[in-house]
Amino acid sequence: MPAADLTALFITLRLAATTTLILLVLGTPLAWWLATTRARGRSVIEAIIALPLVLPPTVLGFYLLLAFSPDGPIGATTAALGLPSMAFSFWGLVLGSVIYSMPFVLQPLQNSFAGLGTGPLEVAATLGAGPLDRFISVVLPLSKMGYLTAAVLGFAHTLGEFGVVLMIGGNIPGQTQVLSIAIYDHVEALEYSRAHWLAAGLLISSFLVLLMIYGANRRVHLMRSA
Amino acid sequence: MIEAAVRLQKPEFLLQAEFSAPGRGVTAIYGPSGCGKTTLLRAIAGLEPNTEGRLSVNGESWLTPDTRLAVEKRGVGLIFQHPSLFRQLTVQENLLYGRKRLKKAINPIEINELIHSLDIEALLTRYPDGLSGGETQRVALGRALLAEPKLLLMDEPLSALEQNSRTKLMSLLEKFLQQLDIPVLYVTHSSEEVARLANNLVLLAGGSVTHSGTIGQVLGALDSDLSRSDSAFSVIEGQVSEKQLPGLICVECGAGIELQVPRSDGGYESGARVRLRIRARDVSVCLEQPQRSSILNILPAIITEVGATADNGSRIVKLDIDGRALLSKISEYSVQHLGLREGQAVFAQIKSAALL
Repeated sequence: MPAADLTALFITLRLAATTTLILLVLGTPLAWWLATTRARGRSVIEAIIALPLVLPPTVLGFYLLLAFSPDGPIGATTAALGLPSMAFSFWGLVLGSVIYSMPFVLQPLQNSFAGLGTGPLEVAATLGAGPLDRFISVVLPLSKMGYLTAAVLGFAHTLGEFGVVLMIGGNIPGQTQVLSIAIYDHVEALEYSRAHWLAAGLLISSFLVLLMIYGANRRVHLMRSA
Repeated sequence: MIEAAVRLQKPEFLLQAEFSAPGRGVTAIYGPSGCGKTTLLRAIAGLEPNTEGRLSVNGESWLTPDTRLAVEKRGVGLIFQHPSLFRQLTVQENLLYGRKRLKKAINPIEINELIHSLDIEALLTRYPDGLSGGETQRVALGRALLAEPKLLLMDEPLSALEQNSRTKLMSLLEKFLQQLDIPVLYVTHSSEEVARLANNLVLLAGGSVTHSGTIGQVLGALDSDLSRSDSAFSVIEGQVSEKQLPGLICVECGAGIELQVPRSDGGYESGARVRLRIRARDVSVCLEQPQRSSILNILPAIITEVGATADNGSRIVKLDIDGRALLSKISEYSVQHLGLREGQAVFAQIKSAALL
């Protein structure tokens, strides 16, 4: 595989891994809040988080690009802090991906938390476990499948990102060029065999990842019904 | 001593319960479905955050108008109606969950004793999903007690079990709960569980406590919903005697009172302490001693109180048999026809008594 493609692969994996990690950390308290609150604001937040599911990625990318510009809220903040602009940078891609992949991480977590019910937590409380202790000793172990699904979906969805990346990342080889865009470039240049390598690689690895989740889900169901 | 005066507004009803119970022994909280029993228990455990009022347990204040102790700081053992073991943990890990959170060394001898007395040694390495209902509840009880609670709360722990394991677990609880040195609040709608397990009784109706006291005091209160209902009953304690009659067990209840009850399948050794539950509708009143009757249990009694007429035209009559209270439910017509009144000497005919 040519070095440029390897670099694109590496950037893609790093982007997906960083995004997934950030989403799991941020998503845990947010999903917990969504799963347990009865506050009125809940449906508003849920709708906002689900927006990337229905919007064309270019819409999200367009607004992010505006926000990154020196007059935009994010651009002005980074400039004031003396940080480099997020536009056309790796961390800009991370921010875009976090927003873009958020529903794919949040919803499995939220469903998993909601499915626990209040019973196990109440039992743990009567047995002397405080709130954080309850979360670690009861919620996390019982939500393993939710975390696995969230991580895999978030990772895989970030791998396949195209529109947002193109809008805010440009296509700078070695910095912001990810696999999906490298494929696009190869096709444009009529280098079909190089496009095939990457496209088939993504196809097969995505299939394997999904097979793993569904396989694990099935095992859990079988174990429970046994 | 448990002193509770709690108030909790739920969407469906208002819980406003005030009672006190001794600092040891089993206090049953009894009432029809939907009267707020479970909610009261949850409020006492601290699982209902909007509870107002006061609550103290053996001198420790858990709830006042200004302060509220968090659930995990109260030290309550709670046994739910439905299985509540952590499914990700083995039985042994479940048992130690609360214990590990005590700031105190684990004494293996003491733990083994408890595991033995609950008969769960064989289950330790298994996961909860494979346990029967009775096993699950025994493990849950062990787990709660190992955390050294200051109060044990049980919410209809037998009601989700099938008859066989119900009977077994009840016999175990009967011995086990009386040995604990903490108070137990036991929610139930089964008069059999009240009669077998409870030392004290709290009657709950429509979210409020109507009566509370020792089991004798409460069962003997003729103005309670329980006495007016068809399930009114009395409890008499006694000892299985050596005397044997064909198909019968003879129970001596002191002062020369002797009751015959059908020999049930479970064998009772002579000398065993037993409780008899006698339903008020199985007790009738005669002015003269009946002769040559198939009813064996006929005892001289004094009428101490005649209750008001219930909706269905029956009346409850409280009898005194040498210091033991016995309720009899008879028709309004019979009361008038026989001219029954307080202080009158009569004979109580007990059609059947259940050995518990």
